Amino acid sequence: MQTILISFIFIPLIAGVLAFVLTKSVRGICALLAVIVNFLIAIFLFKKEAICTFPWAGFGMDFSLRLDHFSGFIILAAAFFSLLVVIYSLGFFKDKDNSSQFYAYLLVSLSFVNGALLANNLIILLFFWEGLLLTLFGMIAMGGRTAFKTATKAFVIVAISDLCLMAGIALTGYLAKTLMISEINLPLGSLGSLAFILLAIGAVSKAGSMPFHSWIPDAAQDAPLPFMAILPASLEKLLGIYFLSRICLEMFKLNPDSWLSIMLMIVGAITIFLAVMMALIQQNYKKLLSYHAISQVGYMILGIGTALPIGIVGGLFHMLNHALYKSCLFLTAGSVEKQVGTTDLEKLGGLIKKMPLTFVAFAVAALSISGVPPFNGFFSKELIYHAARDRGVIFYVIAVAGAFLTAASFLKLGHAVFLGKPRQEIKDVKEAPVSMLMPMGILALTCVIFGIFNYLPLNSFIQPILGERLKEYSLAGSSGDWVLVLITLAVLLGALAHHLIAVKISGNALKAADHIHYSGVFSVFYSWAEKKYFDPYAVGIKLINKIAKIFWSVDRAIDWVYASLITNITFAFSRVIHKIQAGYYIIYVVWSLVGAFAVMSFVLR
Amino acid sequence: MVALFILVPFILLLILNLPFKFLNAQIAFWLSAALFLIQALLALVHSWLPWSNYSVPLGQFFKFKLALDPLALIMLFTIGIVVFISLLVAKSTITTEKRIFNFINLLLISLIGMNATVLAADIFSLYVFVEITAVAVFVLMAIEKNRFAIEGTFKYLVLSMIASVFILTSLAFFILASGDISFVGIHRAFLANSNIIFLNFAVGLFLCGLFIKCGVVPFHGWVPDAYSEAQSAVSVLLAGIVTKITGIYVLMRLFNSVFVLKGTFGNVIMLIGIISIVFAALAAFRQDNIKRMLSYSSISQVGYIVLAIGCGTPLAILGAVLHFFNHAISKSLLFVNAASLEKKFGSTDMSIITGLGNQLPVTSVTSLVGLLSIAGIPPLTGFWSKLIIIIALFNAQKFAYGWIALLASVLTLAYFLLMERNVFFIKTETLGEDKGGVPFSLKFCEILLAAITVGVGLGLPFILNSQILQLKGFLH
Repeated sequence: MQTILISFIFIPLIAGVLAFVLTKSVRGICALLAVIVNFLIAIFLFKKEAICTFPWAGFGMDFSLRLDHFSGFIILAAAFFSLLVVIYSLGFFKDKDNSSQFYAYLLVSLSFVNGALLANNLIILLFFWEGLLLTLFGMIAMGGRTAFKTATKAFVIVAISDLCLMAGIALTGYLAKTLMISEINLPLGSLGSLAFILLAIGAVSKAGSMPFHSWIPDAAQDAPLPFMAILPASLEKLLGIYFLSRICLEMFKLNPDSWLSIMLMIVGAITIFLAVMMALIQQNYKKLLSYHAISQVGYMILGIGTALPIGIVGGLFHMLNHALYKSCLFLTAGSVEKQVGTTDLEKLGGLIKKMPLTFVAFAVAALSISGVPPFNGFFSKELIYHAARDRGVIFYVIAVAGAFLTAASFLKLGHAVFLGKPRQEIKDVKEAPVSMLMPMGILALTCVIFGIFNYLPLNSFIQPILGERLKEYSLAGSSGDWVLVLITLAVLLGALAHHLIAVKISGNALKAADHIHYSGVFSVFYSWAEKKYFDPYAVGIKLINKIAKIFWSVDRAIDWVYASLITNITFAFSRVIHKIQAGYYIIYVVWSLVGAFAVMSFVLR
Repeated sequence: MVALFILVPFILLLILNLPFKFLNAQIAFWLSAALFLIQALLALVHSWLPWSNYSVPLGQFFKFKLALDPLALIMLFTIGIVVFISLLVAKSTITTEKRIFNFINLLLISLIGMNATVLAADIFSLYVFVEITAVAVFVLMAIEKNRFAIEGTFKYLVLSMIASVFILTSLAFFILASGDISFVGIHRAFLANSNIIFLNFAVGLFLCGLFIKCGVVPFHGWVPDAYSEAQSAVSVLLAGIVTKITGIYVLMRLFNSVFVLKGTFGNVIMLIGIISIVFAALAAFRQDNIKRMLSYSSISQVGYIVLAIGCGTPLAILGAVLHFFNHAISKSLLFVNAASLEKKFGSTDMSIITGLGNQLPVTSVTSLVGLLSIAGIPPLTGFWSKLIIIIALFNAQKFAYGWIALLASVLTLAYFLLMERNVFFIKTETLGEDKGGVPFSLKFCEILLAAITVGVGLGLPFILNSQILQLKGFLH
């Protein structure tokens, strides 16, 4: 029973290796089989608890896996999303020849994610966590030669945050004297807070929060699309938020009085607002979605950062909902890309008649992400609003402003892609094949079910995670605060009105956000953002180059000492000696005698 | 039996130089290749052999004492592998028979020197063997008869001699203080606590000499020229193992189990280590020649090992040993990659050889493996050693060092990715001129080393249990 946990790591891993070497016709089936088996085992083991430990490397590094309710739930979710994305990829990669790499990377990623979720030892966690770097790099780099630069950028950014995690783990291990996650229970003292921050940096950056986000929009353009749906949209979010909650709930007991809670909330609020501002002005389907993938993480971090049970439940529920609708949205983008050949909003329009089913899936997911009742996004956002309002009105205001902008940008996106007049170029576009429609349909349907019957996921998945903290009340239904609901509805209607008026004035759905883009203060910030002033990677590379220049000149100076100074001095000496040594051996004899005299007088003194 | 590690190469060397016609380069190549592999194999399975604890009077053949411990076994294994690789590289890059034959002879001498350094149990023979190794390598470097190679050799020679002066002087002090040259005797002298200033002075001198041999900043002047201007095969040998054995191994051995020192020395070693890490990583950024970049990277990685040795806790020493092994393997791999590029395009200048990803699939993939391992990405070996070093630093409360070491690994990653992009992934019109294919033996080396990197990374727990943890005695 316990050793079955290992199958979560080995089944996808072996299948990944097989997918890499098998011929084209079988590799898809191989991948499909692996994810189906993985999904079935995840269902079978859900709600069960197990710990499986192998004696391993010594020095406290034991290979220990732990399945409890929380990790079982996340593993189930990860298995669900990878199953759908593999089905989708069967259609997406039908006439592309690099599918072997993709399936291999996807399955290996799944294996590593499972490993990281199950890990009960921080070293094992780090091993799998950092191993994801390789597949991340590979998946982006397979997008073509231009993608290599993006892959490098992603690699460096994620590697830096992983190093923070490594430092955090080293510090935690030092403080707690153990590396077993289940045994760690640290107070948030001065060093404890530092360890918490380092671990949290690793967690939130895996989830894609600011300021570790800047590779995601680039990857959206370069990497193959199913990659976006599986890693940044679902698996990485699940993993990052999972670990963040583990830190907050288990390893350290974060409580609302702590300044770290405020820090997390600030990071969340900033991420919500800045990313959605960027999303608003994007002119590309995939890029716009990728900024939303960043922005929505802000809600989860804000919810968990409140350290109130209601906020944590909201954050975790939002994580699940976000993975549902965002992977659905990315998949619709993939269908459009595959069928039309572009995701540039200027070249799209009127697709509703050509791809009605894709549009329905898109519409459901867009309504969910905007937080329209009764879709799932509404309920999780209400929980987060509630918690944010209890902790500080400013956080609530930012969250609601984020909702307004989210709704506005999705109105713009949907309008530009699916409504409006069909263009000449898309005349003979057809609906996507069944294998691509099915995952989208399932995801959209789940969005609706998790919305209307929101007690299902809340009661069976999320509330047990908090255990005793939530003993007295259940959060199913709604937060129960009708003022908040009314404000939300007003904001959403405001977004709709704003969109209609803006379209009427500018005459074009694409330009619906231009008045924000080019207004006073914002235009300055946007132009800075376009110059990459806000991209830590670009700034960092510039800085390192400057420092390297300085050190290089120091190195040359040292080399000059060796290469020029010493040789010149030597030559100068040798010139003098050369004059003395004119080749008369009698002089050498004299020298020897003088030398011998000096030595003897010293010795016999 | 331990003496066989020295005697067999020595006898082989003698036989090869007998005046018989049939002893040509071909025979010499196969015999020595077999010898190197057998050494690696023996070191690997040593603890399972029935005769491992069985000593015969053969050891008496030498006037000095030999000692074999798990640390020495790991070193012997690494030596065997790297020397084997160097031989294969020489086989495919050196053109004339005569030169290959000379190369093999010198390689055997350096092998004898290194094996004996590892096995020596007294400080004077340690020194002598270090010098034997160094002299063999001087000649190897100077085989390449061009101006730059000679210049590189000369720099190494001069600085190495300065190091020798330091080490010899301090040896004199040790002998004066302890009246003995064996490790045990010197250890006793340190414990007796007599003449402490005297001994500290000697250790200081010794340390300076070792720093030159290791090539750490600011004693690194000779490294970039020596590594980059020598023959490819010699670069592999020198960067992969020679400086490691003659510098780092000695440092590890003496400072961990012979000298008894106060904390200041540990701090000095750590400081030198951290300076090397950061300084060389930054210098590597501005290189346009692959071999030079690899040289600076070598300095930086040696910095990690030195840092860990300075930290001195058992976990740190474990990390140092692991990193030693990783670095020897990965850096050899990268130098073999450089040799492949040089073979194919006649240059290692990154402005000339660009955009080669498609032409050299094996080289580009294996070089990626090598650099990711050095940058410390799982599941490659480099991840474990870097992790262990960092954790050890944190556990020893050296937070500042731990942080800088962490941040510097970002630099490592950055300059390697820069190199990888320039050489393999940039799309350019002007491709390097093709000077013929990459021979199979080079590809074989690349694949073998990459396989070791991945295999050891994945199988680390097993290796830790069967090989590294045998070090326990060494780790106090």
